[in-house]
Parts: sequence; structure tokens; C-alpha cells
Amino acid sequence: MSTTIETDLLERGPFLVELEQRLEESRVAGRLVLLGGEAGVGKTALLRRFCLLHRETARAFWGACDPLFTPRPLGPLLDIAERTGGALEESLARGAKPHEVSALLLRLLRSPSPSIIVLEDVHWADEATLDVLRLIARRVEAVPALFVASYRDDELDRSHPLRIVLGELATLSAVSRLRLPPLSPAAVGALARPHGVDAEELFRKTGGNPFYVTEVLSTGGAELPPTVRDAVLARVARLSPPAQKLLEYVAVVPTLVELSLLTRLAGEAFASLDECLSSGMLHAAGDAVAFRHELARLAVEEAIPGHRRTALHGAVLSALANSPMSDPAHLAHHAEAAGDAEAVIRYGRAAGDRAARAHAHREAAAQYARALRFADRLPPEERAELLERRAYECFLAGELDEAIEAQGRALEDRRRLGDPLKEGDSLRSLSRLLRFVGRIAEAAEVGREAVALLERLPPTHELGMAYGNLSHIFMTAEDAEGTIVWGTRALELAQRRDDVEVLVYALTNIGSVELASGSPEGRRKLERSLELAQRAGLEEPAGRAFLSLVWWPLLRLRQFDLASRYLESGLEYCSEHGLDLWRLFLLACRARLQLDQGRWAEAADSAAFVLRDPRSWPVPRIFALLVLGVARARRGDPEVWPPLDEALALAEPTGELQPISPVAAARAEAAWLEGEHEAVAQTTGAALDLALRRRVSWVIGELAYWRWRAGIKEEIPPGAAEPYAIQISGDWKRAADLWIQIGCPYEAALALADADDETGLRRSLEELQRLGARPAATIVARRLREMGARDIPRGPRASTLTHPAGLTSRELEILALMAQGLRNSEMARHLHLSSRTVDHHVSAVLAKLGVRSRTEAVAEASRRGLLAQTPQVHTEN
Amino acid sequence: MSRYIVERTFTEGLRILVTEAGAQTCLGVVDRNADLGVPWSFSYVSADKRKTLRVYDGPNPEAIRQAAQRNGLPVDHITRVTVLDPYFYR
Repeated sequence: MSTTIETDLLERGPFLVELEQRLEESRVAGRLVLLGGEAGVGKTALLRRFCLLHRETARAFWGACDPLFTPRPLGPLLDIAERTGGALEESLARGAKPHEVSALLLRLLRSPSPSIIVLEDVHWADEATLDVLRLIARRVEAVPALFVASYRDDELDRSHPLRIVLGELATLSAVSRLRLPPLSPAAVGALARPHGVDAEELFRKTGGNPFYVTEVLSTGGAELPPTVRDAVLARVARLSPPAQKLLEYVAVVPTLVELSLLTRLAGEAFASLDECLSSGMLHAAGDAVAFRHELARLAVEEAIPGHRRTALHGAVLSALANSPMSDPAHLAHHAEAAGDAEAVIRYGRAAGDRAARAHAHREAAAQYARALRFADRLPPEERAELLERRAYECFLAGELDEAIEAQGRALEDRRRLGDPLKEGDSLRSLSRLLRFVGRIAEAAEVGREAVALLERLPPTHELGMAYGNLSHIFMTAEDAEGTIVWGTRALELAQRRDDVEVLVYALTNIGSVELASGSPEGRRKLERSLELAQRAGLEEPAGRAFLSLVWWPLLRLRQFDLASRYLESGLEYCSEHGLDLWRLFLLACRARLQLDQGRWAEAADSAAFVLRDPRSWPVPRIFALLVLGVARARRGDPEVWPPLDEALALAEPTGELQPISPVAAARAEAAWLEGEHEAVAQTTGAALDLALRRRVSWVIGELAYWRWRAGIKEEIPPGAAEPYAIQISGDWKRAADLWIQIGCPYEAALALADADDETGLRRSLEELQRLGARPAATIVARRLREMGARDIPRGPRASTLTHPAGLTSRELEILALMAQGLRNSEMARHLHLSSRTVDHHVSAVLAKLGVRSRTEAVAEASRRGLLAQTPQVHTEN
Repeated sequence: MSRYIVERTFTEGLRILVTEAGAQTCLGVVDRNADLGVPWSFSYVSADKRKTLRVYDGPNPEAIRQAAQRNGLPVDHITRVTVLDPYFYR
């Protein structure tokens, strides 16, 4: 490629060195580098050069994500599998899930010599590929491999899925970020000089983007096109007519174009391939070609007149349709661009199915939507089925309004078709979605209609699920009787028909209400449900069983041991199986648990994590908002009310206790801390009535407690949970002891705030100051002053707060062991902890020190003098 | 971005020498804050050097606290503020 201007080595030396360092480290423990940079900044060129430099010592594998309207699931892994063949290729062919794919890939990389795996353009990746990336980031240290994932950092808007992944990976020790900046004016000047181009002007117009610079210079240097598009088109115009025609064919295919396909498409024009390659417009990759840069492809594609573009896509479609290897996502893309309705439906559906199997729910929903745009001509039966698939994938992707809309349209078709089994099942699905967004009354009505219709038929799986759904609705309302009545019907049907899914559904519902009421039988039912679901591969029901084992102990029993036990394993299960819905619920639970345990900084972090997720599942969002608002209120920080107001707006329309009562309690607490006692009565009244009707003792207790704190004189309501009732009755000492047993230090300190002696109040103050609870501490200090006490401490001395960057004593221990060079597994053995717990502490240490690697952590710690303060630990053996 | 004033108490008094080490201390704080998106604008220091009022721009109070923790600095109180211009009403 004689006319190509080599810019890839200019100012790229330090980046090659950095990558080389990571490669060196990866020989001991694998690394993942996230390489960001704007489009055209030379990420690919840098990585090509890097792989070339190390080709003697490291195998390289490349996989790319495609800029399709909706990407093909696991696209880059397919590219890699093509090279590796074997188990990886087989597993992808049969639609393996992300955790299987990542496990196979990592196994493949276990070899004495290191490998470089490049995942290009992951800003276009589908969800399944992102899941693989997540899993790899957590496990990569086990293999000698350097993963590099490149992405355009200027194309990530706030809700971009990759942004979430980047946030999650930020604190992992194996992961580092690298940002490739544009060229400096000096470098642009060096490039421009031989062409006699005004370097300043060139830099101004290109911003130092190597692609722009290269393109501009390649167009002849003398002329300065106002936009890169013009630059590209000007280059195209200089090619022969057959070469231009060939470029158009390549431009309508947003991926690599196989040479065999291109011969069929382009006919005689194919002879101009060499011209296109030597002009630098195209580059060859194995037996396929592509534009040297996506921006150039877009420029050429956009310049093709509409009617001609349609015809080109039609030609690509028919050429691809003849090949059994073609990806349905590609076919659907071309079919839509060609306006071929029948083909869009066929391939859109197939692409949706494939994406759904790979857990790429957003893509699946989009592919089904694409097919449905042309569904007017479909028979109602087929359309209903397509709508139902879309509704389910929308639900899993967190697009709830779209899910309800699709399910409603499916129901219309089902009613017209007059098949009671399918109509009943469709009603049940709609009921489930309505329950999920908090439209409980409508959900119950539709759910009853489903049961009534299905009961006219002999007992079916669908009827069992409809019973389970009604039971679930009663469970949501914490109506134990209704839950058990409908759950028992489901249970009987499940046993008669030997139907595991119905059995699991019923056990989870009944187990939940039993556990919430304090019966140990409930826990046994839930654990059995979990075991059955896992054994039968019922992933979603298993995720729900995990959540139930965390949710009820946390919120209705305050048994933190039980909740914690299932929290971490549940999170792991849900991450591995792509159950994002239950994962977010569990993360919201984690935030709440940390809040209750007085770990407010962590709680606010966990809550922020949930709130960053762009999907609109309401319940996890409400709980995260509350944790954030309460953590701010307790620390005396500003902006308490915006999250509490949003939570109220989300919870109020549901009319349900589960979302409404925590909102009321949180707002009452915040109002009390601000001294707005009058607001407490009004905030808590309706929720307390509801809790009394449902007889939910922890909620009754909590709301009654805030009313009492605000000076409302009323009887202790029946059923109020013990520590609250005892506190209201005046036994602050015992209440404090109970809170300590439960594991809530802030509540315990607040109980002591009622002490009538100086000793008790001083203990309360000291504890509140330790927790950083400034507003409550101010209240207690005032009481002490009123009592005539002297020398009231003003707060923790600066030296205790500045102590070790906020590291806990456990984290200090970990840091000391890190400095001694112990591996995580060795630390785990030394401290009698699980490896996972150690991993967690290590990440926390890195995050608190604001560093990315263990080496940096030790350096930073010694710089700040943290290591001197920690005792030396004697290593065993 | 909101603007916050952060009050801190240094019981021993705040001493940053006008030396290379002092400059490094301040620039270290600037760097770590920039990482978190909480740029440190400037501070007022009381005459006895025991109290500082720092002006920050940041996304939320948690980011301010996180920055303080990374820098090993105490936080007494965070207040969100806006500017009141006395000539605005003329």
C-alpha cells in the first residue's frame, strides 16, 4: 500500500511499552487492558504493531464487533473460534452461554507461552459478548494471556451498556485502562511537512486524529477538504469506475466481506480489487476485505443514492441467503435495508432467537421488533408468537413498558384465535408484567381471568403457572392466606403432573410468606426450591429463589447472617447466568444491608451502582434511592431529598406496602433529623395503616418508632417488632442491646440517645461520632449540654479520620500481606478467609487508595506511610 | 456539576511548606481529585490554620467524601452552594 502514510508509530512508543509491560505481567497472571480512544485515533494500528512486535513469543487472536443495527451475539468470539476450532467452535455453534464460552476460552489459553487476545470495537458489542468480557476480567489472572479490548470512548453515552461494564471492571486488579490520545501538533507537523501542507491548519481541521490526518494528506496534500467525508469521497472519485462500483458493494456490508461473496456480488468489477487495496481504501484480512476504516465505509455508503442502495442490499441478501453459514443478523440487516418484508420477518426472528439463546436480551428484543415492523402480513398465530417472544426479551432487558405493550398486542391476537390454552397463558404473562411494574390490582384481575379460562380445560402446565402467578401476586401484597391458598393449588397440580417448574414457583411463593412470618419451614421450602431449580436448569426461578432467601431475612426478619449467606452466592449465580434483573435486586439488597450495618460509604457506592443501570426496573431503583438518601441524611450531607422524592414518586402509585413503607420510614427519618417533626405524622400515616392491616411487624415497629420520636402521643400499636416497642416503652438500654445483637450500630446508638444518665449519653455520642452521624450526634451533644455535662467531645479527632485512607483493620492486614508479596490464595489461608473474600478486600484496598494494581497499592501505601502502622505478619510454613 | 463547600478541622493545624514537598502534596490531591471528577478550586484557611473551607465542583456529596478519603483528609460538613450576586437585583 504505497500511498498509505505511516502514522502509527508517531507518539505511540509509550503505549507499546505499556502494553509490553502488561504482556510481561500476564506471563504470571493474565491481564485485561481496556484501550479507549476516539474513532480513527489508531487503536487498531497500535495493536497490529504490538502483535507484530511480539509474534515470536505470543500467539495473537483477533475478534471484532460489528456496527450492525443490532449486533450478532458473541460476534468477536466467533471470529476467534474460527481460528481455534475445536471445543470453542463447537460450543458456539450449539449456542453456548457466556459463562461456558468464557470458561472454554480461558481453558484454551492455558499454555506455557502467553497469548494476546484482541477484542476490537467493544462499544458495538452485544450483551453476551459484554458478559464474556465481565467474566474474563474476573478470571483472567489464572491464565497467561493478555486481553485487549478496544473501544471508542467518544461514543459512549450515559446509558451505553459498555459504560456499565467499564465501571464494574474499574477496581479489578487484573484490569487496566489505556487511553490513546490524538497526535500532538508537533506530530501532525512532522507528517504534513513532506506534503508541503500548512501544519497548523491541518491540526486545526483534524484535531490530530491520525485517520483524518492520513486521509487529508492522502487526498493529495495540496487541497484541504473541509470534512473527512469529502476527503474520502475525493479519494473514491479518483478510482476507476469499476473500482468505485466494487467499493459500493463493500460499503453496504458493515463487516468483513468474504472474497467469495464479493465475486458473486460484483461480477466483473471484482477485477478492480487490487486497485482498491493499493489505494489504501480497503485492506485484506485473510480471505476477506474491509474498508481500512469504518468512517470511510460510512462516507461511501451514505453517498450511494437511495434506490441504488436498496438494490445493493437486495443483491447482498440474495447472495448471503444461499450460504448456510450466513448469520441471520447480517441477513436481517440487509433484508431491512432492501425493504424485503418477508425476508426481514424470517431472518429477524431467527436472529432474535439466536440472540435470546445467548442471553443478549436487548438485541433479541430489537431483532423481534424489526421483524414485527413488517408483521402486518403475518397470520395472527405467528404474529402473536413473535409478540410474546419480544415481550419476554423486553422484560429481561428491563424495557417494561415495551414488554407490556407487546404482550397486550399478543393477547388481542390470541383472543381472536380462540385457543383458550394460549389465551390463558397470554393473560398470565400480562398479569405478571403488570405485577412487576406495581399495577397490582390490574395484575390480579387479569390473573384471575387467566385461571378462570384455563380451569375450563383439563389440568395443564399453564394452569399451574396461572395458580402460581396469583399466589405470587398475593405474596407481593404480603397476604399469607391468599399466597398459600393459590400456592397450594399450584403445588397439588405440580405433584399430580410431576411439573418441576410449577413446583418451584409454588414453593418459592409459599416459602417466602412463611419465612417472612418467622417460620423455619419457610426457609426449608425456599432452599428446596433453589435446589430443584438449579438441578433442573431453571435459571430465572433459581435467581428468584436466591433473592427470596436474601430479601425476606433482610427486610422482614433482620437476620443479616442468613441474608449475607445467600447474597454473595446469589450475585455470583446471577452474574454467571446473565440474570440482570435479579442481580440488580440483590445489589439493592447489598446496599440496604450495608446501610443497616453502618457501612454508609459502601452502601452509597452499592446504591450508586444500581442507579447507574439505565434499565427501568422500579423496585431495585426505589431501594437504591432510599439507601442513598438515608446515607446522606445520617451523615449530614446535602441533597437528601432529591433521591427520596424520586423514590416516593415511583412507589406511591403502586399502593403496595413493599415499596411504600420503606419510603415512608426513610422520609420520616430524614425529616426528624432536620427537626421537621410535624412532617413525620403526615409521611407515615397511610403506610402505618397498611402495615397494620397486613400485620407486618418490623414495618409497624419502624413507622411507630418515628412517630414516637417526632413526639406523637399514641399507644404502641399491636405487633410492633421488639426493639422498637421496647424503645418506645422506655427501656432504651435493652433496645440498644437488641440492636447490637441484630447488627445495627446506628440504631443502637440512637437507642442510647434516650439514656437519662450522662454515661449512656456519652456512649451514644461517641458511637455516633465514630459512625460519622453528625446530625444525630449534634442532637445528643445538645442533650448532654442541657444536662450540664462538660468537656463534650466535638467529634473524632482528625487523626482518627485521616487514619489509613479509611481502610478497615482487615484491609490494613491485607495491605501488609500484599506488601510482603503474598498471593490472594496465600492471604486467604493465612487469615482463614475464603479466596473470594480476600479478592473483595483487595479490590476495596485498591479502590480506597485510588490505584489500579497491587504494585501501585504497595507503592502508594508506603508513600502515605500506611505500612509502618501495620504490624508485621509472620508467614506460616 | 454542583458546587460544594467542605469544612475541615485540623486539630494540629494545617502546615504545607512552600517547598517541593509541599507542592507535591497539593498536586497529589489535585491529581486524585481530578480522577474522581471533583476538581479542587481553592480553599480558605483560618488564621490559626485549624479550619479550612474548600470550594469544590463535583457530581454529588459521595464523590466529595471519596476524594477526602483518598487524600486522607477529614470532613466536618459538606454544604451545597450557589452564588448570590449582590448586584443581581439592581
